[in-house]
This record gives sequence, C-alpha cells and structure tokens, in this order.
Amino acid sequence: MTALRALMRKELASLFGAPTAYLALSMVALVTALIFFDHLRLYNQILFVYASATMGGFASDSVPDYVNLWDSVFFPVMETLGLTLIGTVPLITMGVFAEERARGTDELLLTTRLTPWQVVLAKFAVAYLFITLMMAVSFLYPATAIEQGGLGLEHLSAVFLGLTLHGAGLASIGLACSAFTSSQLVAAVSAWAVAFLFWDLTWASSFVGERIAGLLDALSMQPRYSSFAGGVVSLANVVYFAGIALVSLAAARFSFDLRRVSG
Amino acid sequence: MRELALVGLIALGFGLGSYYATRELTAFAVLNLAVGALALAMAVVLALRRLRFAAGSHSRRLLLRGLLGVAGALALAVALERAAAWSGLRGDLTFERSFELAPATLKALGELPGELTATLYYDRFDPRARHTRLLLASLAESGRVQVRERLLEVAPEEQDRFGIAGSNTVVLELGSRFETVERPLEATIYEALYRLRSRSNGVIGVLRGEGEGDVSSDAELGFSGLASALATEGYQVRSLVTASLAEIPADLDAVLLLGPRRALLPESVAALERYLERGGRLLALLEPGAQSGIEALLDRWGILAPEGVIVDPASGAAGDGALGIDPIAYNYESHPLSRGLNPDRMTFFAGARPLLPHNAGPEDSVRRVVLASPRSWVTQDLSVLSKPRGALLRGGAPQDYHAIAAAGRYPRAGGEARIVVIGDSDFASNRYLRALYNLDLMMNAVHWAVERESEITLRPKLRTPKQFPLPIQSTLRTFHGVGLLVPELLLLGGALVWLRRRQA
Repeated sequence: MTALRALMRKELASLFGAPTAYLALSMVALVTALIFFDHLRLYNQILFVYASATMGGFASDSVPDYVNLWDSVFFPVMETLGLTLIGTVPLITMGVFAEERARGTDELLLTTRLTPWQVVLAKFAVAYLFITLMMAVSFLYPATAIEQGGLGLEHLSAVFLGLTLHGAGLASIGLACSAFTSSQLVAAVSAWAVAFLFWDLTWASSFVGERIAGLLDALSMQPRYSSFAGGVVSLANVVYFAGIALVSLAAARFSFDLRRVSG
Repeated sequence: MRELALVGLIALGFGLGSYYATRELTAFAVLNLAVGALALAMAVVLALRRLRFAAGSHSRRLLLRGLLGVAGALALAVALERAAAWSGLRGDLTFERSFELAPATLKALGELPGELTATLYYDRFDPRARHTRLLLASLAESGRVQVRERLLEVAPEEQDRFGIAGSNTVVLELGSRFETVERPLEATIYEALYRLRSRSNGVIGVLRGEGEGDVSSDAELGFSGLASALATEGYQVRSLVTASLAEIPADLDAVLLLGPRRALLPESVAALERYLERGGRLLALLEPGAQSGIEALLDRWGILAPEGVIVDPASGAAGDGALGIDPIAYNYESHPLSRGLNPDRMTFFAGARPLLPHNAGPEDSVRRVVLASPRSWVTQDLSVLSKPRGALLRGGAPQDYHAIAAAGRYPRAGGEARIVVIGDSDFASNRYLRALYNLDLMMNAVHWAVERESEITLRPKLRTPKQFPLPIQSTLRTFHGVGLLVPELLLLGGALVWLRRRQA
C-alpha cells in the first residue's frame, strides 16, 4: 500500500510539477468558455429576431421550439466538450507508460512490490483525477450561466457525470495505447484513432445490415454521452463507460506480459 | 510495422473526422477509412509474425493468460452492460422530468393490440432530434415499442405515404394503421396512441341555442380543444339544438351543457329531467352570474347552485380579475373522478360559482369533488367578476371549503343516472383547458359520467421549452468572472511552475 501511495504521489507530482498540466487545464477551460459565450450570444440574437415586435413578441408562437437554451446553447457546447476531451485526453495520457518505457524506468517499477495491476490502476487513478479536474474547471462557466436560466442543478449534475464517465473511458483508452509503445506520438495518435472510432460508429451503418448497425450503435460512445447531456442517467450507460475502462485497463495490464515476452 | 500502424491510425482518424464534420461518407472519407483499415491489418499481421518467435512454452502461457484476462474483462463488461440494460434502471434528471412517461401513456401502450413501431424521420443537423430520441428511448423501455430512425433524404416514398411535412416527425405504426406526429412530445404521442387504439367510448350530446360554449370555435374562450380531446379519447360529439329538443335521444351516452348565458327553455329542462329519470348522464358546466335554467332541476337532484361567486384569497391574483376571483383548487374529495389529483396537481377556474350538494333521495349519493381553500368565501355581488385587480372585502361572509365541483349517482328504474356539475365553464375553454390539471378533471368527469372509470387517468402535459434570453449584462459578468478568470488563474499557475523549474 505504501508503494502504491508513493507511486501515485510521484505521478501527481510529475503531472502538476510541469507547466503543461496547467496549460491543458487553462486551454480547455478557455476554449469551452469562448464556444459557450459565442453560442449564447448567437442564441440571444436569434431569439430577439424571432421575438421582435413584428414577429409577435415572446408570448407568441413565432419562436420555433428548437430555439431554446438547452438545444441551442448548452447541448451543442457539451457535445463539443465531449469531442474536445477526445482531442485532449490522449495528450495527457500519452506519456504515462510510453515515457517510462523510453527512459527504461518501467522495469524499475516492476522491481517494486507493486503488481502490474496496481501500477496500471495507480496511473489510471491519477490521470482520471486530472481529467475530472479539467472537466470541473471547463464546466464551471457553462453551468453557472445555465443555472441562472433556471434549468436545474440535477440536470447539470447528470451532464457532469456523463463528462467524467466519458473522461474515464478516454483516459483508460489513452493509458492502454501508451502501454504498448515507447513513442508518445504513437501513443497519442493511436488513442485518438481508437477514441474517434468508438465515438460514433453510425458511419459504418451504410455498409452493414440493420442488426449489425444496431450493434455498432450500441458500441458508440456518442449516443451514450448524449443521453447524459440530455439529462437521463441510465445504469446501462454508466456500466458501458466503466466497461470501456475495464477492458482498456486489462489491455494495459496485458502489455506488461507482452513486454516480458518480446523484450 | 510501426510506420504502417501510424499511417493506418492517421488515415483512420482523418476518415472519421471527415465523416463527423459532414455526416456524409464522401470519397475522401471512404478512401481514408479503407487505407487506414488496410494499413492497420498489415501492421497486426506483422506484429503477430514477430510474436511467433516468442516460442517458449512459458512465454506462450504468459501471453495466453494475458489475452484471456483481456477477453475475460471484455466478456464481463458486455455481460454487465446487458444486465444493466435489461434492468432498465434510469433516472430522468431533467428539470421538468421530460422523459418520465406518465401513467396514462404507459396504460395506452399496454392496451395496444400489437407491437408498435415508432420511426423518427429527421434531417442530419436537426437539434430537436436529440430530445425526440430520448423520448422514444423511454417508449422503447416499455417493451411494446420498436424504435427506428430514418433520414428524410433517404425516405422520399415514406414521406409521401405518411404525409411527413418536415424533420423531427415520428410515425407510429400499428399493423396497417399509422399516426403521424409532427411535434413529438409525450402529450402528442399519447394522443396518437389513443387514436391508434381507436376505441369508441360513446356519444356526447352538446346542447346549443342558449349562448352555450361553442365546441367548433377555436377562439380563446371557444371549446374546440375540448371537442378535440373528446374525439381523441374516443367520443363522438353531437350537437343538440335546445329550441327543437322535445326529447333527449336515447343513444346518447351523456349530455354536456357548456355554460349557457341564457336560461334553457322549460321544455328543454323537462326533456333533460325525463332523460335523467331514464338513467341518463349530465355534465353541467355553469357560469357565475348566468342563470342556466337548470338550477331548480339540479336542486331536485341534490345539487344546489346558488347565485354568487367564490372568492379564494389563497389563490392570489391568479387571473386578470380581482384578488381571489379565479380560484386555483388543490383540495379534492376522495372520488373516482378526482383520482390522481392532489394538492400538487391543481386546477384553475376563471370565476366559479359555489355548489352545495345535499342528498335528494335515500339511495342517491351526491358528493363534493373539487373544493376551494378553507379561506374562501362567497360574495353575492356579481359585479366582482368585472372588477379590475385589487383586494375584495369579505365582510361577515363565512370562510369554508366551498365546492366548485360536485357529482351524484342516482339509481333509477331505467338505470343509474349520473350528474357532474362544475361551477365554471371557462376552465375547459381553449384558453385554460391545458392549464394545470384542467384537462384531466374535465375528461375524467366525462369518463366517470359515462361509467368508463377505467379510462380515468392523468395525461402527459404539453411542455414547451424554455425560450427566454439570458440578460447580456449578467452573462457578461459570468463570462468575465468565471469563464475568463479561471483559465487566466490556471495559466498564471502554470507560468509560475515553469519559472520555478527554470530557476531550479
């Protein structure tokens, strides 16, 4: 347990001891804030055009249903934030194992009393903690603004849960990709490709039958994440993201065996 | 091998990126996907060939154990996900609980004679489709609905067949019958389900000729909404002109009197009484300040409707008139007609006259159903109905739970007569029918009167999305105070860390 704590402390120190972590946190929060503000401004403009005196005012039916705070502002921003995560998380996880491999310190890790599973879980926990922090600082502004619109804290908590679960899935994919290579570039690119692939598999529906298309739909992250963004928390969706983490971490664990065999 | 894998991943990434951006499989996307898949396959083959040299039995055992671990994790994840999906556990955390199906919708689904197919027709970038998908997912969880999605651009024949006017339209199909729902909300889907069920609940005769409410008028104080709701729930509406009414037709299941402004002719009242004696059913919506001519009849049947207006200070300035003149009722007596209504499910009345039930016959049963608050009182001054906003003086009028609606059952030789009286007719007008739980009270009153108690339910509400602007000043304050300040502080922290590292 002491070794595990020491490893986590070391990972946290190396993460927050470098300016890149702060840069990533700041950039994601800034980009989200700018996108959100832009959507909000556009929404206000559209709403005022529809509700102008010539169109009958706010009380009239002239404003289409889809011009509302949720559909026009918050939901698209959360969708963008989900995609931003795909772009950012591999950059955070790319060095977790790959850097150790490149430096040769991964073998040192295995000489401690830690099992490969403990090493994987410790690194995942630290990466996940960082991603949750990143989501929290990015979520703060849209959530504060939307809460002023009276849309309810429960819904916002559902969205945040979806974000953190999505982050957990992506962190584990990034970790698995980092575990199979000593190149951080390869780790990042492969994590992007896998995450992009699983984000939305509906593109493949054109090539397959309805049944397989349904299966591919069930494998996609985007509809699951959208469900949280829509305010619906389903146990199946929670388990789906936990399942991605489980399989990815098992693959990362497998990389230790592969390394012992292939040298 | 690594080069091939890298090329494959980059090509795959660009292929998918192109698809996500345009939502179309262009030649660029297909080419990238094909190249990516091919390169990755070759990289995997090369990797496997490399592993062949790890030929020792110990190595093979190690690899096999690792692979089994991954396969086991995958199997466990799939099994758990399937079990979770089977359990159907989900929570609707939206502000208005938009995806929790009302009991009425679940009941309507349960009573369908076969499996229903719900198809969403949408355009690629229609934002409304997201909400509709979640709603259809809720329907699918009932187990009796198969949900499909079709892009409008690939379904021109279906557009013609189902009369689809635009994106975000749901078509409900039951065997060879279908209903097209252009504004898919739970309330509209519920109504379509009811129409698909096509059960006939009876014929309602609506009296006309003495200034009663007009069921064909779509004006604010018209009753076309009520007529539409009656048709949706399986009732045929037939007009009865009182001037030529010698006898109420025997094939009617109930007679509806919608707030007459003038007294009914004595012959019409007599015909109504004969109809009731034969075991007929009457729904009378009376207006304060207007003599309907049936007050004496109602008194004989145990419901006194005195002149006067209920003033309920607990309702505040709910309407446009004087304080308390438009009662919001939240007290209901236990009665089949008010099933499901409780203090959280209120009904609104735009001016109401009091009702005093009393038993007329030994076997008759007359009950109060909807009550104003215990702070309510009755004024005989009918001019309060036209007074502008402002408080009314109670004087010495006693405060009590004054009945706004009452219902009676009367066993007679020809069958059981039923009467429902409501001291306001405007509550069922187009303006107020869908306010609070007015529609439920009105339709449940009809169902109870015609002895279709199994149809009594609470219907899903028509909810409109929040469409108000966020004031730009407060938006700007939040943008500066949170949106920009937080990233700035983080960047400052990063800069300090970087400087310290350089100094070290």
